[in-house]
Amino acid sequence: MRNKTFTVDGREVALNSRMTGKRITKEVIYYLCGIVLSLLFLFPIIYMLATSTKSESAYAAGAGSLAMFLPDFAHLGTMFDNYGSVLTNYGIWKYALNSFLYAVIVIVLNVLINGLAGYVMAKMNFPGKRLFSALIIFLIIVPVETSIIPLYSIVKIMLGLKQTASILGIILPASISIFNIFLFMQFFQSIPKEYEEAARMDGASTLGIFFKVILPLSKPIVATVAVFCFIGVWNDYLWPSMILPQASEGEWPLMPIQAALTTIQSMEGITTGEIMASLVITSIPIFVIYVAAQKYIVQGFGSAGLKM
Amino acid sequence: MTGSTLIILAVFAAGFIGLAVWDIVRSKKKIQKYRLRSAATAYLMLLPAVLLAFLFILLPILYSLGYAFTDYYLLTPNDINFIGFDNFASVFKEIGEKGTLYHAIINTLIFVVGVVPLQIGMALGLALFTNRKVRGVKIFKVCFFAPVVISLSVTSFLWLQILSPSETGLLNSFLGLFGAEPHDWLRDPKTAMLCIIILSAWQGCGFQMLIFTSGLANIRNDLYEAAALDGANAWQKFRTVTWPGLRSTFVYIIITVFIGACRIMTQPMLMTGYQDHTVTLSYYMYTQGYSYRWVGYSSAVALIMTIVIGTITLIQRRAFREK
Amino acid sequence: MKKIFKTLSVLAVSAVMACGFAACGGGGGDGGEVDSSGNTIVKIMFHVDEKSTEGQAYKKRIDAFNTAYKDKKIKASASYQARTTGAAGYETELLNKQIEGTLPDIITFDAPNCASYANSKLLYDISSLVPEDVQDDFLSLNEYGGKLYGLPIQESSAGFYYNKKIFRAANIDVSSYTVENPWTFEQFKDVCARLKNHGTTAVDMRLDATKDETATYLLYPFIYAAGGSFTSADGFTATGYFNSSATQSGFQFLKDLVAEGYTSYSIGATDFYTGKVGMFLSSGWTIPEIENKYKDTFASRDDWGLLPYPQGTAKASATGSWCYGITNNNHADKTAAKELLLWLTSTESSDAITTATGMIAARKSVNKNYAAGSPEEVLLKQLQLTGKARPATVAYPTFSTCFNQIIYSLKDGNLTDILNTQTNTLQSEMNKLHK
Repeated sequence: MRNKTFTVDGREVALNSRMTGKRITKEVIYYLCGIVLSLLFLFPIIYMLATSTKSESAYAAGAGSLAMFLPDFAHLGTMFDNYGSVLTNYGIWKYALNSFLYAVIVIVLNVLINGLAGYVMAKMNFPGKRLFSALIIFLIIVPVETSIIPLYSIVKIMLGLKQTASILGIILPASISIFNIFLFMQFFQSIPKEYEEAARMDGASTLGIFFKVILPLSKPIVATVAVFCFIGVWNDYLWPSMILPQASEGEWPLMPIQAALTTIQSMEGITTGEIMASLVITSIPIFVIYVAAQKYIVQGFGSAGLKM
Repeated sequence: MTGSTLIILAVFAAGFIGLAVWDIVRSKKKIQKYRLRSAATAYLMLLPAVLLAFLFILLPILYSLGYAFTDYYLLTPNDINFIGFDNFASVFKEIGEKGTLYHAIINTLIFVVGVVPLQIGMALGLALFTNRKVRGVKIFKVCFFAPVVISLSVTSFLWLQILSPSETGLLNSFLGLFGAEPHDWLRDPKTAMLCIIILSAWQGCGFQMLIFTSGLANIRNDLYEAAALDGANAWQKFRTVTWPGLRSTFVYIIITVFIGACRIMTQPMLMTGYQDHTVTLSYYMYTQGYSYRWVGYSSAVALIMTIVIGTITLIQRRAFREK
Repeated sequence: MKKIFKTLSVLAVSAVMACGFAACGGGGGDGGEVDSSGNTIVKIMFHVDEKSTEGQAYKKRIDAFNTAYKDKKIKASASYQARTTGAAGYETELLNKQIEGTLPDIITFDAPNCASYANSKLLYDISSLVPEDVQDDFLSLNEYGGKLYGLPIQESSAGFYYNKKIFRAANIDVSSYTVENPWTFEQFKDVCARLKNHGTTAVDMRLDATKDETATYLLYPFIYAAGGSFTSADGFTATGYFNSSATQSGFQFLKDLVAEGYTSYSIGATDFYTGKVGMFLSSGWTIPEIENKYKDTFASRDDWGLLPYPQGTAKASATGSWCYGITNNNHADKTAAKELLLWLTSTESSDAITTATGMIAARKSVNKNYAAGSPEEVLLKQLQLTGKARPATVAYPTFSTCFNQIIYSLKDGNLTDILNTQTNTLQSEMNKLHK
């Protein structure tokens, strides 16, 4: 407990017990507000978790009452059935693995390609730089959904990425992000010139400086970009379902998890509980990553300065 | 397609080279070996990004731009004809006749005007609320952040159950405890958009809260101490220290939330379907392009929308620029 | 050191890109008409997942075809592209194959799309390829502009599932209402009133299913049954049809059901399955639902049954499912495709596929020996006697949206105004498409 003193008429007055009482009330109110707010933000998720433990009839029976938020205590075995079926029968683990692999590749490429570009834009001067700066701002603003049809044609026809090569159609477009270039740019601008100058005096090349000096200093922004990439790859379902081929029997499927989920959810015979279980499973990795990387994201944005 | 792409590429390359040369000439400096090498290094390091950006970002936008001037009907992709500004004329005609596009514009406007202040306000409030070094604050932060992790489609599905019109729907049964009649929240034009605004702000504010938190962490503590010495109370501290310190964070947030809000489509699509009281611009474009198969017309709408959003964004940047 | 770095990073990126371009080369050999053994390849694309029950049924028939036609040197090659909601999936794949020029020889398509596919020259006119007697043996055909473009894979129908336990408790006897002697709109309302008096929600008319084709599919027969219609025969005029007084009377009937409290928008999706609703308008897919998942409420067929659509001045019930069609791809010789088409629509295939999926065979001569009075028999009889397809118009997607919007707002507003607005919307869309 901190020692708090007040200045009254120029004299320091220490806390007396009445003031402690007031403080305790304030703290209690604070925590109460926090709990109420937290429940407001959590209740749909609680609902999701509770439903994932129920069989179809238990779900229908509980619908509309407070029981919606309570797991099915009477039939706890259903929970294992639901999750087990989702993981094995519907084979979600395969799709999760796919998503992980795609995400890792995308993150590496993303950091390399956009990081390099951001570094060049932040630290180097070259003819045409102003054009690129303008282009960057412009491209951040333009909405991307409208480009899906032409993008499909470009990937499938011009580049001819078919069957297994379609994976490149997922990875390559995800490896370039004007927004990430922008983030890198902002962050690198805040790294003092002294680091570079010292390295140059030691005879390092530009590329060498990037890998040996700048990147190690950029953990927050790399973490931020990595998290964004992961979430982007993990949540994306429209684009993969458009360009990836369906797996034939016996072959390892190519679909990432959300795309597979949309198909699974419309399969005959799936129960609401199983749908919720699959949703919980897909939300967990993102949740874990967000929580773990929270510190870095906060740092990453803070240092970036966010000058728009 | 490859042919036209190469032509576009050639145009860009030529334009860029021309600009670069002009830049060099203008600077009137002699082209030293050092500058050439550093410029070459810069270009090489930019090359992968430029290549990918050209292929996957710029090119689709340019094609979409091109389609806006054609009659591209999805089922006849080999029969595309140039029709000039006809699509744009149709756009204005549809607005004039108060058709679906008119409703889409109004609804999108309502949504943006509603969600931007609400979501940012909530985010700021929660960031300030959790800006304390007390035990348990981390748990609160995680709770407030939890909805962000859930994708928009799952959120829409969950809230559909909550807003169910039957008397056993979550919201209705809760309000029923106070004697209220069950209400069809999503079907009533007066409440539908409001519900969508609230649930969207609920879903997104956790993320902006994080960004505000980082902005708050960047405000130097001695500024607060100085204000405290001057006898400032909480509100004054906020006004003189916190708010100015958050300025650039705030500009970033308002621009990104605004652009995101303009593009809303999942919530109305999954919660009400294509109806006049909830249709939004993106949803309209999507339906026109994919369901009704008018890719040309839908691209024209997209072009207009981009220009409007871009203009507003530029105005925002200018207005909030630090003096 | 720096040179190696530079070269390596450039090489790495180039390698990734090269893979993409290399795949381009590999994709070029994407199925010619004749393979190395001299077999003519017929490519077919199915709209379901290969691992699903339906997909497996198709696969078996394809394998059987390949065995049977080995000597005739025709080989079927099947791909499976499950249709998903929205733009992704089947239709996108189809259209891009069209751009590429690699359209399969046979595709499957949903019946209402027949008009737009035929009009856009995606489909090939098979009027002369399918023998007359085969055409006559189909419960319905996919025609447009007087020509034949598709043959149904199987048939769907819908009706009013009802909870016999509730009906017995409320003393409601519906045994006289059959497909041959259907109940009228008035009799339907009467049953609803008695259910309402008994204290149950009378009927779930699926008014909340307007987010996709479901509501349109289940409810459009009421408009036909009321004597109304939606479009002219060529599908390019809606004015005078969609807002005719007969059409309006059909919608008015549905509106009355809401106004008189027999149905509502807030019926839970599983309320019928949990015994809270008297009747449930749904398609044949509900039969396995009830029998597999809801044995608590419906222990046996003594506890539930199926009633046909009520009829008015005309007769109508829901039809239309997925169909086979031959495409206008660059294989000019359609002989091999014809063989596969006739094989897949033979009585043998029809029987095999529908046994697996539980749907109704599209061929009249396939006799499943449904028990008299059983739900399956009701659906079959409806298809034989009262089935009427959705309007064949190129503007079908707009029609579906307009229909759904009317159903969505049945409770409020002036029906005449709403119908006129929707008709105008539909008509302008038709005008755009009528080149």
